[in-house]
Amino acid sequence: MNIHATFFDNHQRATVEAAMARIIPSDDTPGAREARTVDFVDRYLSGIDYIYALPDGSGFEQLEGRRAAAWQQRVDLARSKYVAGIAELDRLCLEQHRAQFVHLDEHEQDEMLRRIERAGTPEAERAWRDTPAIAYGGPVEPALQQTNAEADMDFFNLLVTHTRQGFLADPIYGGNRDQLGWQVIGFPGPASLAEVHAGRYNTLDFFADNRVHRGQEDNHDRQA
Amino acid sequence: MTGKPDRVDAVIIGAGASGAAAAKVLTERGLRVVALEKGPWRTKESFGGDELANVNRYNLWPDPILNPRTSRTSPEVAAEVDPFCPVPQMVGGGTVHWQGWLPRFTPNDFRLRTVAGDLAGTTLADWPITYEELEPYYDAVEWAFGVSGQAGANHFEGPRRRGYPCPPMPQSRYAEKFHDGCAKLGWNSFPTPQAALSQPFNGRPATVVSAFAQQHGDPTGTRSSALNVFIPDAVATGRYELRPESYVRELVLDDRGRIKAAVYEDAAGVMFEQEADVFLLACGAVETARLMLMSTSARFPGGLANGNDLVGRNVTFHEYSASVATFDDPIYAWAGGGYVSASSFQFYEHDASRGFVSGGHIAAAGVGIPLPINWGLPGKPTWGVEAKQVDRDYFNHSMAVAMVLHDMPQHDNRVDLDDTVVDAWGLPVARITLIPHENDLAQGRFLVDRCGEILEAAGGKDVTKVYAEKVTGNCSHQHGTARMGDDPDTSVTDRHCRTHEVDNLFIVDGSPFPTATGANPTLTIMANAWRVAEFIVTSKGNR
Repeated sequence: MNIHATFFDNHQRATVEAAMARIIPSDDTPGAREARTVDFVDRYLSGIDYIYALPDGSGFEQLEGRRAAAWQQRVDLARSKYVAGIAELDRLCLEQHRAQFVHLDEHEQDEMLRRIERAGTPEAERAWRDTPAIAYGGPVEPALQQTNAEADMDFFNLLVTHTRQGFLADPIYGGNRDQLGWQVIGFPGPASLAEVHAGRYNTLDFFADNRVHRGQEDNHDRQA
Repeated sequence: MTGKPDRVDAVIIGAGASGAAAAKVLTERGLRVVALEKGPWRTKESFGGDELANVNRYNLWPDPILNPRTSRTSPEVAAEVDPFCPVPQMVGGGTVHWQGWLPRFTPNDFRLRTVAGDLAGTTLADWPITYEELEPYYDAVEWAFGVSGQAGANHFEGPRRRGYPCPPMPQSRYAEKFHDGCAKLGWNSFPTPQAALSQPFNGRPATVVSAFAQQHGDPTGTRSSALNVFIPDAVATGRYELRPESYVRELVLDDRGRIKAAVYEDAAGVMFEQEADVFLLACGAVETARLMLMSTSARFPGGLANGNDLVGRNVTFHEYSASVATFDDPIYAWAGGGYVSASSFQFYEHDASRGFVSGGHIAAAGVGIPLPINWGLPGKPTWGVEAKQVDRDYFNHSMAVAMVLHDMPQHDNRVDLDDTVVDAWGLPVARITLIPHENDLAQGRFLVDRCGEILEAAGGKDVTKVYAEKVTGNCSHQHGTARMGDDPDTSVTDRHCRTHEVDNLFIVDGSPFPTATGANPTLTIMANAWRVAEFIVTSKGNR
């Protein structure tokens, strides 16, 4: 996908790409680097022109009014977290290793990411400690499903969240290139958003061989 | 300047599950109805299979910057901004993005106080109506929607006049595992009744079984929802005027203490006063309480119809939690959105020997929405080589067995108005104050343990139990903020969901439910709205 809009400068982009490559590493299967999750986040931070893909995949919604203002506020906040977070990460790396993050080896990069992982606010640390279940880099909730509260995340959790999003969200958002993320986890997803939108995407092939529920083999009740 | 549209028979505030059900009944019975819906009127063409947009970017969820809520665990501490128990704010409401599990409540749900007795610290109450009184309306909603299910398969279900209009949905692999596990344990299980068409029904085609279902809108229009069924029925009468993006700020009284008008703001910020004979609140239990509390007057300084200070109190939310396991064979738990499922009411009814009151619905479920973007397990790493391996191991080979917690009503668990936080329109937001009762925690542990046993019996490995240690509102279910009862001192509405203090004000969402029950509430909310609407029509000449 051709990415027109970008936010990062070259160094910021290289740093985020390297960090994302440790969050979802490349091993015997592709990782964040091959799936181009950095393109995903760079496009997200570029402004509010790529927030919502049109559901048939033909473009992006142009936001207006209160929604546009809310998204501008959210993107501005994320931008500031990335700019400050990258700078702080480099500061710590220089202090520890006398080199910027991008110049460290993978082991050192992992070590520095672990260091910023727990260095959030006191509230975040307490929540981390007290909460038994945590979404992948997501909101600190004991729940198995919950809406995402990006505004509450620190830089590291935001980075993890955006890496996962960029790896697994529809390729129209700039990541999950060639559906590599879906291939890695084994999701035979739709060819495109248009397939879902048109109702051509159907998952019945992945249901049980016996489509009739146990105990119901004697057909639907005849009371009707 | 304030616009004054023509007076109508009824104004319904909200066009979600309950408001749309009431609109269908009122308009089909000849009333002229205006619906004032805060959110947009979206059509199926605006929905798609896009987890990032729908789940992460508030395409369907309320944007918390525009529509914040706050929550706290004690009246002594400051509330924090928290998207507590969100529900889509748009025409169709929660039915736009639900998976549509539609079990009926059981007869004992309507008399739990009688069955279980007192429980210290709670306001456990019987309902003023019975299962038998509601049964005709359950039937009406099931047949309007074309619910797919199997009568009699749930051994704990109450009597029903006839079967389901459509056979159960096809059996998913996770449903098959669930049935296997329950059978090995000797527990009853049944195909989850669902708001979907297993075959063509009433001129509508069978439902497309996508992976993008729960928390996604339906681009095909083939799932059954308020948006796809009740709204078109109401529109077809020619007596239903649905005004989207119309945000009701206040209900105002006339000299006799009856509601005179709903004051609302349209998308352009223009204010209107819509007059009617009767007013129906259908905003969901949180927003309905909020609107009542915002509608203050000399007669009701503490909020509309709130002379006894019960509006917003006794709020219940359920909680969704689960055990999770992996299987050697593929489960494909994302197929059908993870929720074309199987259920059990084996631990639903009250059993004093368990040491806690009541129980809840247990069912099979997927682990992503459908992808593992927004999902994680306790104790598993969130990044790195091992996290990537977990994703690969779990995605096609894991499933959840989940439970709906029947949380107990408590006087001090409440919705009120936050004293500092306002929404994008400058109005005070709903503040939730909630401490779980020990019964909630004990029941949650018990049910999650049973969920784990089903997985183990089905051959699951690495069973992980996630106990519900607090109530976070993660189900989008909400009830109790205007409980119904025969005694005006201990309830907000009467058995017809008419407020005791204002005789042309009805509440048709989950607010009047005295107890949460352990089952998904929307079928009962819609059935009850249908019942109340019938009452409004038949009693119209008597007022």
